[in-house]
Amino acid sequence: MEILRNLWRRKVRTSLTVIGIVMGIFALTTMGAMAEHFDALLAGGIAYYGNTVQVADANSSSGFGGGYMDLSTLSQIQRVPGVAAVSPGVFDTAKPGQASVVSMGVPDFIGNLDPNWNRYSRLKLSLAGGRWVGDGSRLEVDLGSSFAAEFHMKVGDTIALPVRPSDAQPGFVNHRFTVVGILNPTLTAPDSGAYVSLHDAQMIDGDSLPTALLGHVDPYQLITGAVVYAEPGINLDALAARINAQVPTVKATKPSTLVSAFRSGGAVFTFMTTAAALLALIIGGLSVVNTMLMSVSERVREIGLKKAIGARTRHILTEFLAEAALIGLIGGVVGYLLGLVLTTLLNGSNPSGGLFLVTPGLTALAIGFAVALGAIAGLLPAIRAARMDPVRALRAQ
Amino acid sequence: MPTLRLEGLTKHYVRASQVVRALDAVTLEIQQGEFAAVVGRSGSGKTTMLDCAGLLMRPTAGRVLLDGVDTGRLGERDRAALRSRRIGFIFQEFNLLPTLSAIENVLLPLRYSGADRRVGRRRAEMLLEEMGLAERMGHRPAELSGGQQQRVAIARSLIGEPTLVFGDEPMGEVDTETAEMLLSLMRRINRESRVTFLIVTHDLDLAARADRIIHLRDGRLAADEAVGRAVGPCAALAVGGR
Repeated sequence: MEILRNLWRRKVRTSLTVIGIVMGIFALTTMGAMAEHFDALLAGGIAYYGNTVQVADANSSSGFGGGYMDLSTLSQIQRVPGVAAVSPGVFDTAKPGQASVVSMGVPDFIGNLDPNWNRYSRLKLSLAGGRWVGDGSRLEVDLGSSFAAEFHMKVGDTIALPVRPSDAQPGFVNHRFTVVGILNPTLTAPDSGAYVSLHDAQMIDGDSLPTALLGHVDPYQLITGAVVYAEPGINLDALAARINAQVPTVKATKPSTLVSAFRSGGAVFTFMTTAAALLALIIGGLSVVNTMLMSVSERVREIGLKKAIGARTRHILTEFLAEAALIGLIGGVVGYLLGLVLTTLLNGSNPSGGLFLVTPGLTALAIGFAVALGAIAGLLPAIRAARMDPVRALRAQ
Repeated sequence: MPTLRLEGLTKHYVRASQVVRALDAVTLEIQQGEFAAVVGRSGSGKTTMLDCAGLLMRPTAGRVLLDGVDTGRLGERDRAALRSRRIGFIFQEFNLLPTLSAIENVLLPLRYSGADRRVGRRRAEMLLEEMGLAERMGHRPAELSGGQQQRVAIARSLIGEPTLVFGDEPMGEVDTETAEMLLSLMRRINRESRVTFLIVTHDLDLAARADRIIHLRDGRLAADEAVGRAVGPCAALAVGGR
């Protein structure tokens, strides 16, 4: 109580100091929430790509497709020793023709639901409602959580896929799908997906084939890639090498390459959070030091008195440290709450679910950091107070 | 055994490369239950003597014995503990904490002595009632007159049930009438509970109402006289020490 009253005695100064910490912790919370969002995204990527081997056509430029493979290639891959299962993959953008802006997340996509996914993948998919799309499903779709939220879809609604762009060409084709299931959030790529049967994915893909190819190829024989699941105990990088050696028409990407790409992406966001924390440290910390030094020099006589009536060095130290930590706590809670409100509002206004993820860990970090910052910044002034000579302090003017 | 014994108490300061002899070989004894006044001009060493005797300052030479214990041998922790359990202080400028109410100010020393807070609270209420401040317990110092503030400070000095109370010009900041009242109050406490008082004052009229007047001049004991009754052998001893 006394601590609060001491702080309240200098309202303006205390408020300014608290504002300094509020700013720092606000920055830490919002930046941290963004980093947490990407960490979750990347963790999902690592979990998924870390235990699959992604296969694409040998002439494609990346491990994520970009070319076409023949469906019959799957049986060749299946014969490679160590392969437990191979799933076809047909993926297309859900919003064709959309101006490609810098996206801070995974763009919405349409893909075939991989029946092997939950059996083999470390990243599990589950339904929040409805049912799974089956192999024989036609014009039925399971929507990822962000996808469903963006288009306000619930089980039983219908949605035209792909989404018609505003500047659609006259020949633009899409199909009305019935939403039969909504997925639980995974915080990573599947949230932005619309999952249909392989047949429907190939149908949509066929609609977007270059005009020159139409009529010359069977879209139901084409896939954009394949996902290989290994038998237990098989080294995936070695398996990728074996696939490349035995099936010359495809290119298998070593999982370690993908995982390390994700990890280096994560490092950037860790750096962002650290930078925000440093900002908080500098702005907030210095103002706490200043405030507490002023507070100590104003209360010299009070310190002298307390020592005269029996307070030990430890008591004075504790009292001033508690005051500094309380400034940190108030600033931390306010800054955190402001950050929470802002990120919640921004997430709410973002149709695809938003860029921020406030985790319990981040909450503990933001508030704990603020309290620790206050206490550390208060240490020097508190030591100065605690070491005062009682006689000199008592007679100070 | 005297409650307080000062033995050849000496304090030197160095100020502008000159040695100032604030206190020079003062020897005296204070018995349990005495009410003694310390008088002298400013710069005579009154406050320095009080600071040393009250364990706020270590002397350059000489000893301070509290109930026969040589306090010079104690570390700061033990000296702080002695201050909180055995000694009470009253200051000229009251030194109440502005953010605390009257009763919270009275209770402050108990925060550092680890005493039972509930027992302490009852005692603080009793003390404030005794000081005639029953109606003012929840008031902040700024809402109290000078005399009332000093009565709160007196109550604070007594909360730890000390055997010795040191007052540094406790009547220095109040008018004559209030000073009289404060002195009567302290005398009454001294009579009723046998608490020993050592009060620094420059007011000889107030000093005359003590049992004993200790005169300091230039850091030395100039005279030690009993008022109304004999002080005992200490006066002679003090003279002998010079």
